[in-house]
Amino acid sequence: MDFANLAAQLNAGTILPEGIVLITLIIVLVGDLIVGRSSSRWTPYVTIAGLLAAIVALYFQWNAMEPVAFLGAFNSDALSIVFRGIIALSAAVTTLITVRYVEQSGTPLAEFLVILLTATLGGMFLSGADELVMVFVSLETLSISSYLLTGYMKRDPRSNEAALKYLLIGAASSAIFLYGVSLLYGLSGGETRLSTIAANIVSSAGEPSLGAVIALVFVIAGIAFKIAAVPFHQWTPDVYEGSPTPVVAFLSVGSKAAGFALAIRLLVNAFPMISEQWHFVLTALAILSMVLGNVVALAQTSMKRMLAYSSIAQAGFVMIGLVIGTEAGYASMVFYLLVYLFMNLGGFACVILFSLRTGTDEISEYSGLYQKDPLLTLCLSICLLSLGGIPPLAGFFGKIYLFWAGWQAGAYGLVLVGLLTSVVSIYYYIRVVKMMVVKEPEEMSEAVKNYPEIRWNLPGMRPLQVGLVICLVATSLAGILSNPLFTLANSSVARTPMLQSSLVAAKRVVTAPHPANLAQQPVDVPQL
Amino acid sequence: MLSVLIWVPILGAVIIGCLPESMVATRSRQVALAVATGLLGWSLYLSSQFHLSEPGLQFQEGLPWIESLGLTYQLGVDGLSLPLVLINSLLSWLAIYSSDGQIHRPRFYYILLLILNGAVAGAFMSQNLLLFFLFFELELIPLYLVIAIWGGARRGYAAMKFLIYTAVSGVLILATFFGLSLLSGSSTFDYAVLQEHTLPLSTQLVLLITLLIGFGIKIPVVPLHTWLPDAHVEAPTPASVLLAGVLLKLGTYGMLRFGLQLFPEAWRVIAPGLATLAVVSVLYGSFAAIAQTDMKKIVAYSSVGHMGYILLAAAAATPLSLLGAIAQMISHGLISALLFLGVGAVYAKTGTRDINVLRGLLSPERGLPLIGSLMIVGAMASAGIPGMMGFVAEFIVYRSSFEVFPVQTLLSMVGTGLTAVYFLIMINKVFFGRLPDSLANLPRVRWHDRVPAMIVTVLIVFLGLQPSWMTRWSQTTAVALVEDRLNRSTTTFAEVRSVPSDPDWLSLQLTGSESPKRPIH
Repeated sequence: MDFANLAAQLNAGTILPEGIVLITLIIVLVGDLIVGRSSSRWTPYVTIAGLLAAIVALYFQWNAMEPVAFLGAFNSDALSIVFRGIIALSAAVTTLITVRYVEQSGTPLAEFLVILLTATLGGMFLSGADELVMVFVSLETLSISSYLLTGYMKRDPRSNEAALKYLLIGAASSAIFLYGVSLLYGLSGGETRLSTIAANIVSSAGEPSLGAVIALVFVIAGIAFKIAAVPFHQWTPDVYEGSPTPVVAFLSVGSKAAGFALAIRLLVNAFPMISEQWHFVLTALAILSMVLGNVVALAQTSMKRMLAYSSIAQAGFVMIGLVIGTEAGYASMVFYLLVYLFMNLGGFACVILFSLRTGTDEISEYSGLYQKDPLLTLCLSICLLSLGGIPPLAGFFGKIYLFWAGWQAGAYGLVLVGLLTSVVSIYYYIRVVKMMVVKEPEEMSEAVKNYPEIRWNLPGMRPLQVGLVICLVATSLAGILSNPLFTLANSSVARTPMLQSSLVAAKRVVTAPHPANLAQQPVDVPQL
Repeated sequence: MLSVLIWVPILGAVIIGCLPESMVATRSRQVALAVATGLLGWSLYLSSQFHLSEPGLQFQEGLPWIESLGLTYQLGVDGLSLPLVLINSLLSWLAIYSSDGQIHRPRFYYILLLILNGAVAGAFMSQNLLLFFLFFELELIPLYLVIAIWGGARRGYAAMKFLIYTAVSGVLILATFFGLSLLSGSSTFDYAVLQEHTLPLSTQLVLLITLLIGFGIKIPVVPLHTWLPDAHVEAPTPASVLLAGVLLKLGTYGMLRFGLQLFPEAWRVIAPGLATLAVVSVLYGSFAAIAQTDMKKIVAYSSVGHMGYILLAAAAATPLSLLGAIAQMISHGLISALLFLGVGAVYAKTGTRDINVLRGLLSPERGLPLIGSLMIVGAMASAGIPGMMGFVAEFIVYRSSFEVFPVQTLLSMVGTGLTAVYFLIMINKVFFGRLPDSLANLPRVRWHDRVPAMIVTVLIVFLGLQPSWMTRWSQTTAVALVEDRLNRSTTTFAEVRSVPSDPDWLSLQLTGSESPKRPIH
């Protein structure tokens, strides 16, 4: 193999965005070593600049001719570009809202950013990973840096507890995932590339083998842990409550998006022969997530725990798009993740700001906040209402698109569960809004009574404010002016060969869209 | 043209939101009032440009919005929606005008009222199902907040109940729209396109029943009505006016527009059931009103009863009865607005709404003579005394429904009698008798308490004497609605109702619709 051929096979240009993130990471790390503590004045901006540059690089890859790189280990197709963009963007916004939080807790900022960038890198590679070893390495990069981030507030016992819990459960789920992957490797006769695995398993046996089903179950367990789908969600509330809030923000958006990217690629590519089985399992997971996430969130008194359950429920909504497996389904998933990024990060930005001013996360302490901090009240209200799907905010359009795609694909049961549980979700989101907006001055909580005058000129406050306003504007307007986002989501699916071939195959094999889903749903399906 | 009615209130809300802190207390109200006056003027102008002989949509506007969803920004009004758009502008103006000048948190209050106005106007004008749903849901949070912040003692409970009921009704409506759009094979929510499509009867039935439960919550029809008395009792007076006058009409409007017109065959099948349900609503609402001691609850339950007439007329679905349904929507909107304004004034001056405590408020020197007189006019109108609007509307409803559902109509007429009973009880206890000393020296009634009620009273009496001014907007549309249905399902329809399918009879009936005013002259 001569050099030119090898260079073409490696096609290293596809990981330029990751390269930019990596260089940023090194600059922050080395710069901090050289300059010392005072580096915190510029490291966040370098991080954000690097992440934005990575997004720009992703934009230029959109029309790349040859997406496959590194001898098939990495695939930079349109879908992976969108997911990498979501992860990089969520890391950039997280950086904005992190600065003040880390400064105030007295821990070094640069190290936090380095770990965050590592997690981003892992997530971005995971979104494009097309080979089992690559999948596992990038998954572990993401996971291990997430464990480090959750335990970052090392003097806070709750943060330690969260990190330990996350580590133990995460390691166990990684092991299970790895076992599933090793089964796949064995069954396919030593193949590691996702697309060739399927071909090799099918050729060896006509009926789906038991081994493949076991591998599927193990793999789904690993993925469901990452996206916090019920019943693999138990770590979520505890970890979300104990970890530093910016970390939670990243885990709930960036890490979840990476999980969904992995889910699409792995399930669609490697398990086409048992697609009925994985659709069934995911349908069950989606219904459980929507029901349990939304219902348990009703009973929460801590804002972070409530957002944890809400994020479980939101993952359930997104899984509708994955389960129905149509073009509109995948596109609605991408669209929902895009708007979810802004509304959820906006919500967390507000929670961070509030806990910085008052030191508490209890929902009851938000009582009467409108008097002291109208901007925070407005922003949090808008983000929560958008999560609840109230028009004309972005979340409304995201949900409508998901449900409409599901309905078109015939998944009536799933959509009805989604519709009903989103009514439930309005209740707990509006409860917070009511606390802040409706309560009179005399009902004000202690924390709000002692609310300090806001000073935006403190170090790190300005980025927080910028992050807040960006999320607010995006959440309010991304719905009404959502055509570009819709186009992006639709074309990312239309331009991904992997999904297109699976769609064609699905049409050929099954005429009706996944009759198995319909038949096996526990909810009454109107026979229309 | 129509977009003005949606975007100007929102623009006004933004302006109020941007007012500097020092001007909030005084200017918020002025800005809101100016916007509302402009909107009222604009909707009057629109109705002057409205072609009465044109049955279809007028002032149509359309822009593509989100193609993947089949969502387009499509507006238009016909004889069914124009009166409701007008009454929305009128009552919003009244609500803003009658709001207490000293209300706390004025900025937020007027912002919410303006958003509410824009959302309701948008819902009445939308010609895309998804757009209608968007506006229908948009109205939810502002009204929730108005009740929850400026309401009475149990406002939190009442507001949450309202929110949950309305959210559930929204979900049902959305599910129906999804089903309809999908089953008609086109991935669009365009009303005009969907209307052309005919579905099998069984499918129509499933969808229509889901839709009617959704709108039935909003109307409210009796087993689903429990949120309404709570919401009314706790809501501040302007919100009560809007709730009874405009927001409940969203339910009946949706029922006529989306239920009757999109599922004509299924509608015929379930019409007897609907009529029976209407009777239950009428009788239950009336009897429940008799048992109440809170003035506002009496008016609230009377709303439940009077919305039942609309349901009865809608179920009958003849040209005349649809005209009656529209007339009853207008008349109920104005009359309940008057009654709520009166109750609000009584409560503001005396601090109570308990009919066992209040006495003799009609006393000319120290009582509330003007408010009392207007309340009496309102009660008379509501009870269907000839010469007022309530009579005209109810007469058309009974006259037209009797041919189709004689038993149900007769039973509903009992409701009119019962209306007189509970309002007489209320008026007798509250306004007649000797004014006790504990109620003497009431605060002065100011102009902004009186003017809205006086305007509504004038309208009620005027439209009672000259009902064609109210009905002429809707006549052609009402005929078109039914004729359209007849054309689409001639055979099946003619068997069931041989009389109305005769076109000569139709025209006869419509000239006959003028008849109720004859005994008055």
